[in-house]
Amino acid sequence: MGMHKKQILGKILLLICLTIVALVYIYPVFLMFMNSIKPFGEVVADAIALPKAPTFENVTYVVDKIKYGSLFLNNVEITLIGIAGIVAFASIAAYILDRNRGKLSSAIYTLIITPMLIPFQTIMITLLKAMNVIHLDQSKIGLGIQYWGFGIPMACFIFYNFMKTIPREIDESAHIDGASTFRTFVSVIFPLLKPVTVTVIVLDVMWIWNDFLLPLLMVNSSNKTKTLVLAAYTFVGQMNTKWQYAMCAMSLTVIPSIIAFIFLQKYIVEGVVAGAIKG
Amino acid sequence: MAIIDKGMKKISPSKVFKEKLLKKKKLSGKKNLETILFCLPAILLICIVMYIPFLMSGYYSLTQWNGIAKNPVFIGFSNFADIFSGKSGFLTSLGFTVRYTLLFVIGSNILALALAVALTRKFRLANLYRGIFFIPYIMSMTIVGFIWKFIFTQGLDKIYELIPAGFLKWSWLGDPKIAFFSVVLVGVWQGLGFYIVLYIAGLQAVPSDVLEAATVDGATGSQRFFKVVLPLLGPSFTTCIFMSLTNGLKVFDIILALTKGGPGTATYSTTMQIYQEAFTNNNYGMGSAQAILYFIVVMVITQLTLKAMGSKEVAL
Repeated sequence: MGMHKKQILGKILLLICLTIVALVYIYPVFLMFMNSIKPFGEVVADAIALPKAPTFENVTYVVDKIKYGSLFLNNVEITLIGIAGIVAFASIAAYILDRNRGKLSSAIYTLIITPMLIPFQTIMITLLKAMNVIHLDQSKIGLGIQYWGFGIPMACFIFYNFMKTIPREIDESAHIDGASTFRTFVSVIFPLLKPVTVTVIVLDVMWIWNDFLLPLLMVNSSNKTKTLVLAAYTFVGQMNTKWQYAMCAMSLTVIPSIIAFIFLQKYIVEGVVAGAIKG
Repeated sequence: MAIIDKGMKKISPSKVFKEKLLKKKKLSGKKNLETILFCLPAILLICIVMYIPFLMSGYYSLTQWNGIAKNPVFIGFSNFADIFSGKSGFLTSLGFTVRYTLLFVIGSNILALALAVALTRKFRLANLYRGIFFIPYIMSMTIVGFIWKFIFTQGLDKIYELIPAGFLKWSWLGDPKIAFFSVVLVGVWQGLGFYIVLYIAGLQAVPSDVLEAATVDGATGSQRFFKVVLPLLGPSFTTCIFMSLTNGLKVFDIILALTKGGPGTATYSTTMQIYQEAFTNNNYGMGSAQAILYFIVVMVITQLTLKAMGSKEVAL
């Protein structure tokens, strides 16, 4: 009985400690949101005090100033283009590489996944030059297409490992029914890849949505092509003393991710874990 | 070939075999074509954004080029010679990056493991707590850098008025020695959630009957953890250490937003060095040389670590 009591006490103590740690941990995020609805004077007077007169003037100012709506759509567009290409091209390559095993396919597989080892900063200087030559720079679609190239190696790796678990009898029966290889992939195999497709989408959405350096190099020059993070970066730089506007722009940038996380926590965490273990 | 064929003509199984072989060859030709066709988009895209720029970097690293002049001037290995004689800030930045990565890997993994152990206990709202630690990971690193800049410059003074703890009064971004730790702190804060969920996944995979058996054998809580759970976490360690290693070596956004590499060059990372050399100083040739060296350093460090961990994991 004494042992049991001790255990309960230990658990309560642990919970108290954990609560304190969690509160301290999330405090910076809370501080950002709180200061984004405070007027200038209140931020300067006391950065950590709760807002006395909460105002949405900051929000309307920033939304209007950085053109939040169109930036948000830019982000959506770039992310959607990126994801669509990565999923389509990586899955079909993984499918054929697994089904037609041989010297050729293992050579191609190595060619496809090796770039996972190349750090982005190694190629960024010459990438800018190369993209300029083929006109993939300064455009949202061009940026989306670049993400295909950067995302395919990891995605192909994840799809390939999963393909092994899908029995070949499934394709064979589709072939007997007269379906071509492409047709078999589209209507039979691809639907079966759903669990890893979710993993790939989660990983790549998080990456593309928040990416900074590649958009900085490729689409930073015009407001028509800018992403949310880029606009926030420039805006915060300009507002170096007007913290209330800076905090508001930052909050508006991360809110979509946080809302998505609240609703999709299970999928996001599972996707991230699966991606790391398979990657 | 023809003679042999003639001699064997009567034996029909061989003919069947030959036909089969021919058919197989034709089929494998078709298969190869199919393989190439289906992989073509992937191969082309990867070549365009990765392999071609990589080869170009190799070439430009041997040149002097400001990015505007039509033709880069070929100068052999003198960029590399300049780097190793310490003329550029590359070596200093590499020193920072290695120290940062080391502390980042150690800090992230110890804290993540500790929190993962606490968070795998069964209690109500466990999911909420896990979510809290994951939130910084889903935020843009640039924003994370700015949030902490605000805290270091505006927030800590005010918190000191409430809780007069000496460390809150430190010059977190102004003192070169402390700024190093500030940058690590922010890096760990941002990424911790990722390593926590990986360790949680590892801990949940530890079979409960093994733990029960250890308890029956009279193992105490800490014995169970260090002698039973930890060794079984081998794969999680490998993943987390490898991921934190590569993430640490890549650090860029957070530093750009938080300190811009300062004060002085106290927090100047290699990635920033390459960026500045090329896009601010317009030394594209020198920048490429640094980029190639950076690639080699990253490869050597990650491969050596993987090898070392691979042998450890087998030993467990």
